[in-house]
Amino acid sequence: MRTAVILILTLAGFILVENLIFNTGVYPAIVDPDSTTGAMEMRLSNEMRRKAGDRNQVLAIGDSRMGFFPRYPNQIPNLGYTSATIATPGTTPRCWYYMLREADPQANRYAAILIPFEDYDDLETWEDHADRVSDLHYLIPLLRWTDIVEFPRSYHSTELKFKAALGIALKGTVYKTDFQDLLLHRKFRLEYAAQARRESHQWFYDFKDTDKNMAGVVIDWKARKLAAPPNISPGDVDTFKTQLLEPYPEHTGRRSAYLTYWLNRICDLYRGSATRLIIFRLPRGPYVRPDPPPFDPNSSVRKAARRPEVILDAEHDFDFLEKPELFKDPHHLNGPGQEQFSRALALRVRQLLGPPKAP
Amino acid sequence: MLFNTVPFFIFLAIVLLLFYTLPRSLRKYLLLAASYYFYMSWNWKFIPLLLTLTVIDYTAAIMIESGRKIHRKLFLIMGLAGNLGFLGFFKYFNFLADNFALLLGRPPHSFALQIILPLGISFHTFQSMSYIIDVYRGEQLAIRNPVDYALFIAFFPQLVAGPIVRAREFFKDFYAWRPPVSEEQLRGVLLVVLGLAKKMAFADQFAQIADAYFSHPAAHPGALSAWKGAVSFALQIFFDFSGYSDMAIGMALLLGFHFPLNFRRPYLAFSVTDFWHRWHMTLSRWLRDYLYIPLGGNRHGTLMTYRNLMLTMLLGGLWHGASWNFVIWGGYHGGLLALERMAGRKMFEQKPPAWLYPLRAALTFAVVSLGWVFFRAATFADSRYVLSQMFRRASGAPNLLIPPWLVWMALLSLAAAFLEEHFEWADRLPRGPAWAYAAALIVLLFAVEMVGVTDKQIPFIYFQF
Repeated sequence: MRTAVILILTLAGFILVENLIFNTGVYPAIVDPDSTTGAMEMRLSNEMRRKAGDRNQVLAIGDSRMGFFPRYPNQIPNLGYTSATIATPGTTPRCWYYMLREADPQANRYAAILIPFEDYDDLETWEDHADRVSDLHYLIPLLRWTDIVEFPRSYHSTELKFKAALGIALKGTVYKTDFQDLLLHRKFRLEYAAQARRESHQWFYDFKDTDKNMAGVVIDWKARKLAAPPNISPGDVDTFKTQLLEPYPEHTGRRSAYLTYWLNRICDLYRGSATRLIIFRLPRGPYVRPDPPPFDPNSSVRKAARRPEVILDAEHDFDFLEKPELFKDPHHLNGPGQEQFSRALALRVRQLLGPPKAP
Repeated sequence: MLFNTVPFFIFLAIVLLLFYTLPRSLRKYLLLAASYYFYMSWNWKFIPLLLTLTVIDYTAAIMIESGRKIHRKLFLIMGLAGNLGFLGFFKYFNFLADNFALLLGRPPHSFALQIILPLGISFHTFQSMSYIIDVYRGEQLAIRNPVDYALFIAFFPQLVAGPIVRAREFFKDFYAWRPPVSEEQLRGVLLVVLGLAKKMAFADQFAQIADAYFSHPAAHPGALSAWKGAVSFALQIFFDFSGYSDMAIGMALLLGFHFPLNFRRPYLAFSVTDFWHRWHMTLSRWLRDYLYIPLGGNRHGTLMTYRNLMLTMLLGGLWHGASWNFVIWGGYHGGLLALERMAGRKMFEQKPPAWLYPLRAALTFAVVSLGWVFFRAATFADSRYVLSQMFRRASGAPNLLIPPWLVWMALLSLAAAFLEEHFEWADRLPRGPAWAYAAALIVLLFAVEMVGVTDKQIPFIYFQF
């Protein structure tokens, strides 16, 4: 009996100390700003510190393809809406749910949330997004004990389910690599994390991307051949080939189920709220294949559009940006592309939401 | 199922739960079934071998005990031949075949066979051999119940890498089994967690540095890198094997069995003689009792003593693996032991004065680390290269990095070893205040969690023997 009491108290003590360090703001404040966790944490904490003057705030979420930079719409006179972003490279709809839950716990801070989608037909991907281990690393500061069932269950692999559950219970297991890096570069890390806390808002908001573009690629759709000028890297050429010339991955419904689940969870956050979730399709790329994916009337976004809090933007609204001159690689808009996209999206949001509400 | 994996801990939890809920008469069956399951989880094909050896030794012991003098010797020889035959075939056939081919001027693998070394064969054959020898000597009664004997050989905590337990130690606990008292339970848990921390937070960290160096020694020229590589391996092998032993002893304790100590802070040794009193103690004891003393020990004059020492260490080296590198490693230690004996036993068996002790300990560590080069290097040529680099004047480019925090951790563990040497804090912890025990366990759990290597599985070094 004595042994059991001592061991249970020891285990409880360990979990308590561990949670005090990693499950409060203590450790996330000094996490490497360049890590996946740090990248998300910085953007989110910037947004949570940002003082919103009124209810006419629009928040963008998404991954690196979300080339929406608030400084452009915020310069448009009389737009009436203030833009902000927590879009973080590498994040997925599963991450967006937890990020929004953290950024807007009362679901009343924003007039609209801008949610980008690559397509409206749940086109299958080679990768199983549900088994992205990086999501655990992005989200670790945001996951709570109450997520210990839902989040791990959303993985397909048993190993990852276990890893996710263990990560929520003992966050140190996920912060381990970051912690070892901290031990190696203590002084630099603490200074860098402090600097990131002070300045990262400018890093993200004032970031000006390259003018490099993808012009000059010649595609023979019939012969399934592609020729690229020398300024385009071999990696980008390979991506073009896969993206444009390979057959679409076989439809299994795996991605549809994933997107439906997490989009529903995001919608649930805003059920009954005045916030609108605006879903729109991103400019697909500098070159667009002539064979569109098969139309799916019951895709995740089309099903979500039936919910009152969701506004589904017209699928082709941003097709005019699908030009080689506006992309820096096969997926991402370049500096001029980002500017045009940011302005166009803001104006479209104004149209969809109508005039701003009085403060 | 490695000891440091989640499936193993689930297995252990189930075994412990069933062990303490089942009626006492059924517990040995449970342990035997669990042990065979554990062994089969590695490779079920080796179970027939384990069973065959079990039957051979079980039968041989009964025959030895009940036979006439002449027959007793015959059965002993047959039993030993069975064990050594299997060990020789699985472990040394290819080594001998390659050397034979070399002698005939043929390509090295001309006569080699595709043989997979059965897990733990060196350990369980040594354990079996000690049993039948003890029966022959009249120091141990033959075990009549085959299940009891099979459990002695297959008991999962020590099946694959020791400690090498004597039959009388095992059966003393087995036949007079009593549940572990609170202090023993706490000690068992502490040892398991300590072993886990040694393996994951220390051994596996140093393994990455040692592997980086020894996989391509020529890529890291210079004395500094060579010493870093050798010292990293010295630390890896200690934390790895002593970590495994701690876990094995701890698990056995939780099941009510008291296993002998296998390591007693070997890197605090002040001489090579002292080192061998502290390193892999159950193997040293086995070699002493079943090889060195039967060879004559130190009873037949100085020259014979040196010969016996050398033979024992050479065979001890060969026991580790079928390679000339292991033989050289054994010979190196045999030579050092003989040299120390020549210089005077007092000097190397009695603790030096406090002012001299750190110097002697550091020197011993350096000498032992030199020996580990033969143990770790893939080939004899690599060993020669590494040793030549260790004594080069040029330190070389510092391109083999040991993270400073790992150095601090190693120094902390050294301090802990010093404290243990003088105050036996680890032994006292389970008897001491609960908060101190809890604090120690929490620190160890943090070490496992935060610095334990989990992104790759690095097997225990001694599993290959």
